[in-house]
Amino acid sequence: MNPLIFTTILMTVLLGTMIVMTSSHWLMIWIGFEMNLLAIIPILMKKYNPRTMEASTKYFLTQATASMLLMMAIIINLMHSGQWTITKVFNPTASIIMTSALAMKLGLTPFHFWVPEVTQGISLTSGLILLTWQKLAPMSILYQISPSINLNILLTMAVLSILVGGWGGLNQTQLRKIMAYSSIAHMGWMTAVLVYNPTLTMLNMLIYIMMTLTMFMLFIHSSSTTTLSLSHTWNKTPLTTTLILITLLSMGGLPPLSGFMPKWMIIQELTKNSSIILPTLMAIMALLNLYFYMRLTYSTSLTMFPSTNNMKMKWQFETKRITLLPPLIVMSSLLLPLTPMLSILD
Amino acid sequence: MALVHKLLNGTCILRKCPKPSVASYPFLGTRFADYCSSSLQKPAPVPGKASSQRKTEGDLQGHHQRDVALDITCPEEKPEVSFDKAIKDELKNHFWRLKDDIVNRWIGPEGRPLHEVLLEQARVVWKFRGKEDLDKWIVTSDKTIGGRSEAFLKMGKNNQSALLYGTLSSDTPQDGESSRSGYCAMISRIPRGPFERKRSYDWSQFNTLYLRVRGDGRPWMVNIREDTDIIQRKNQMYSYFMFTRGGPYWQDVKIPFSKFFFSNQGRIRDAQYQLLLDKFWRLGSPRSRCLHIWCLVSVHFLACSQPPSCCILMAEREQVLVFLLIKALIPS
Repeated sequence: MNPLIFTTILMTVLLGTMIVMTSSHWLMIWIGFEMNLLAIIPILMKKYNPRTMEASTKYFLTQATASMLLMMAIIINLMHSGQWTITKVFNPTASIIMTSALAMKLGLTPFHFWVPEVTQGISLTSGLILLTWQKLAPMSILYQISPSINLNILLTMAVLSILVGGWGGLNQTQLRKIMAYSSIAHMGWMTAVLVYNPTLTMLNMLIYIMMTLTMFMLFIHSSSTTTLSLSHTWNKTPLTTTLILITLLSMGGLPPLSGFMPKWMIIQELTKNSSIILPTLMAIMALLNLYFYMRLTYSTSLTMFPSTNNMKMKWQFETKRITLLPPLIVMSSLLLPLTPMLSILD
Repeated sequence: MALVHKLLNGTCILRKCPKPSVASYPFLGTRFADYCSSSLQKPAPVPGKASSQRKTEGDLQGHHQRDVALDITCPEEKPEVSFDKAIKDELKNHFWRLKDDIVNRWIGPEGRPLHEVLLEQARVVWKFRGKEDLDKWIVTSDKTIGGRSEAFLKMGKNNQSALLYGTLSSDTPQDGESSRSGYCAMISRIPRGPFERKRSYDWSQFNTLYLRVRGDGRPWMVNIREDTDIIQRKNQMYSYFMFTRGGPYWQDVKIPFSKFFFSNQGRIRDAQYQLLLDKFWRLGSPRSRCLHIWCLVSVHFLACSQPPSCCILMAEREQVLVFLLIKALIPS
């Protein structure tokens, strides 16, 4: 793609998300969503092949449907309140429809079916943008309307997302699908605490983005899209295998790594609000995620997987240098000691 | 609803009865049981359509069985049809498959441990050892569009292979649209999960298609289709040639997946794309461009493998030019 055109499209994606996050007028928010959607499509189809085209089409259809639902909810809210500002959703029907629309945009259960299909069909770089940047805009709207959201619906979606994210990722050998199911589960954790303490949602989002960025960059660095190709990285860059181990365990929420911090804070917040069964269920279902991360870690880092190549070194086409990788790895693994500082969030 | 529709279709095809309207029967079970248990004529094999060539070349390998298409039942067989039993069996089958699906999920991908899946270097996907293996394939010819080619699939000697045989005719159907005709193919069925959910094969750790065949000396084509949800992609496929030697010995054909070229609606596209193997859907082997000849190929097994010497990602454009050259030289 022409660099100037690519820059323009990328700026449009950034601008769309910024408009959504900074606007207080519902129409501007909807416009921001549409700008973001239309600009992300050529980025998803950057390396064109029929599969990418199909994935982009699926993404466009689901996001456009969500935008339509959002617009309907906005108009119902306007009819009942007479205002366009995002202060409060006055009508319960509008609140439910808006929650469904934003859940569809985020990929929460039961609107999660597009996430693994789209993520699998696009390149690693596009998948990185899809699973990190594209979550910011809908999550910011959920954050702003959190006092008006129906608690039962949100918690049901959250718990089901954690379950589906864990169950669906169990037998995957494709790395992009694993990351997609991981995203669904993490979105579940974020929405579970949204009504109780929205700031923790933002914290979880921040840590999740750091870890997902790190994972994708490691995959891009080793040009791996399947478990088998990842298990051969010990041939190519042994240091990468160690970093993959640390990052995967952090994503699984194991202490003393950074990923444990949001899970710990969320469980603490839920128990403070007299909810015992819910965090127990969530913690148990998070073990499913940990299981497939551990399986990936086992084949990649803990064992020297037998190579089927005659050559010692894995076939590599070009060396990719990723400048942000070291600080990301540090932040996605060593932030747990900063947890006492989070008391300022209360 | 899909299950009921399938059962109604299944019952109606066997009995050749018109499809009953669901809305007119408030009590579904008893009414349909009475309706379907009434005696109806069974379909007889269609006479007079056998080609003259089939009579002269009728007995293949000394086999005296009459050649009939797979979809026509013999008059001697009397299939038992009981609506209630059919529903119960179908439900039991689907729930059993769902249970297996859930249990296999704990074991690993495709019901096997992960290390086994990651370490395997070859996998036999289709082999022909019994009638149930034949049911995994569909045999078609241009008879479906009004042509006169015929193709059949049956078990070979000793139940170790399958035999695809028939006649090809390039007589075009008289419909005013078709200008060319004459093909036959065997196509694998789409893998289905419980409740007829669409599945696909994940062959991403393999890079070669391995077939053991014994052909008739003529070139065949091997087509691969990817799983898709978009209707515009239903005519897209990846193809390559299989040149058979003509027997009597078995021939091992190994085709790297990188050799397959991309085509849409039978036309090779200028832009070629890599065949992505994580959503492999159907394999087909058609044969075409003949004038009133018989065709024959035996298939022992079809597998995928990962030879260490092959690590090409995608064929170059020169492969496409080679194909065009060969096509011009074959006399039509």
